[in-house]
Amino acid sequence: MHGRKAYELVKEFGSGEKGHLKIFNNELFERVIEECNEHHNALQSLIRKMQEEGLEVQTAKNADHYGALIHHISLIRNKRCLMAYVFNRAEIIRDLAWKVGLLHELPREIQEKFSDSEEQYFKDHSKSLKLYMSQLSLDVNVDMVPPKDPYIKVRVLEDLGSGIILSDKSANFARHSMHFLKRTDAEQYIARGLMEELTG
Amino acid sequence: MASSAGEWSAEQIDDYEALISTTDVELLKKAWRNEKASPEILPFEEALVKRAKEQIQLMEETVDDFEESGHDPLIVSLYQMDLDRVQFLLRSYLRVRLQKIEKFMFYIWKTDTYRNRLSIEEEKFTERCIRDMGKHLEETVLSKMPDNYQSVLKQSVISEEDDMVASRKPCFNASLFLKDHVQYIWGYDLQNMRGKFPEPQLDTFVVAKCERTTRPLYLDGSRQSAGFDSRQVAIRTLFTV
Repeated sequence: MHGRKAYELVKEFGSGEKGHLKIFNNELFERVIEECNEHHNALQSLIRKMQEEGLEVQTAKNADHYGALIHHISLIRNKRCLMAYVFNRAEIIRDLAWKVGLLHELPREIQEKFSDSEEQYFKDHSKSLKLYMSQLSLDVNVDMVPPKDPYIKVRVLEDLGSGIILSDKSANFARHSMHFLKRTDAEQYIARGLMEELTG
Repeated sequence: MASSAGEWSAEQIDDYEALISTTDVELLKKAWRNEKASPEILPFEEALVKRAKEQIQLMEETVDDFEESGHDPLIVSLYQMDLDRVQFLLRSYLRVRLQKIEKFMFYIWKTDTYRNRLSIEEEKFTERCIRDMGKHLEETVLSKMPDNYQSVLKQSVISEEDDMVASRKPCFNASLFLKDHVQYIWGYDLQNMRGKFPEPQLDTFVVAKCERTTRPLYLDGSRQSAGFDSRQVAIRTLFTV
C-alpha cells in the first residue's frame, strides 16, 4: 500500500521517548527509497504512454493522468516522511551537541545510534558552534542554568586523572573525591556524567 | 524637575525610574527577556552586547585585583556573583538567538526582515548551518531520490513555492503579554501598532508586571478602556478578531 512504510518510519520516530534517538533504521529507510523509485518509474511510464497516444500530459484527464498523479503524490509524501525523519533526528543531534559539549566523544550507546552521515553532521555542527564562539571570544555553552552560587561542591564519578586545568587551580580528580569548584568549570563534566553535583 | 520643598513629584519619580532603567544591565535584561519570549528572532543589540562585554572584562579585572590584594573575601564573592549573573544574561541572550537560528535556519535566511536582524557572526553561523544541513539531507535522502525531486526546499520541481519541511516558519500562535517597554511582538512595532497579523490563537499567556499606570490594549482599537491604578501584577491577554 502506498506510503505505509514511510508511515511506519515516521511513527517509529514519534514513538520513542522525546529527545532520545533510536538506532537509525537503515533497512526501513532503504525500502522507502526503493518505493520512491518504483513510483517514479511507474509515473514515467504512464507519462510516456500518454505522450505516445498524443495526449497533452497536463490537461488530458484520463485514467493514466490520474494514475500518474497518484504516483507523484505518493512519491512526494514519501519524500516528506524521509526528510522529516532525517530532519527531526538532526534536531535531536543538535540538542545533544549543546548538552554534552562540542566535539567531545559522545557515550558509546548514543554514538551507535547515529548513521554515518549523522556522525558527520554532529561533528560539522560542533565545529560551526565552536567557530562562532571563537569569533566572539565568548563561551556560549557554559552557564546553561542561571547561577545560584559561584562555587559548587562536586563528587567525581570517574577517574579523570590529575592535571586537569581549571580556571583557578589544578586538581587531582581521583574517583569519589569531592571538590569545591567554580560552576562554569564543573558544568561540562556534570553534563557528561563524569561528576555529580552535591546539593544539601 | 520643579518640586515643592522636599517632596518627590510624580514626574521626578518617573525621571528617576527612567534613569535606572537605562543602565546596561537593565537593557540587557530587557533584551534577554524579549528574545526569550518571542517566537521570532529580534534585531541584534550590537552596541549593547559590545558594551556588556567590555564591562564584564572590566569587572573580571577588578575582581582579580581584589583577590590578589587580599580584599575582604565577602565583597569579592559578591562582586563575583554579580559578574556571574551578568555573564549568564549575555550568554543566554546569545544562546537563545543561536537556537532560534538552528530551528528556523532556512526561513530566516530566505526572509529579508529576519536576515537583517542577525549579527555578522550569526550570519556566518547560519550559512554554515544551512550548508551542514543541506549536505546531511543530500547524502541521506536527496541524492537517492529520482531527478526532479531532489530539492531541499521544494517538494518537486513543479512546486510553486518552497513547501518542504525544512522551510517552516516559527509558530506565531502564542498571545503575549508584555511590560510597557517591550517593543516587539510578532513583528509589531508597538509604538506604531502597524504590522502583519498572523492568526494568533489563545495558546499561551505570559504574566507581566507593569511599571506604571497603563490601560488595556485592544489591538482593533475598538474599545475605550478604564485605567489601572496600581502597580500590581496584571494578567492581560490580547484578543483578536
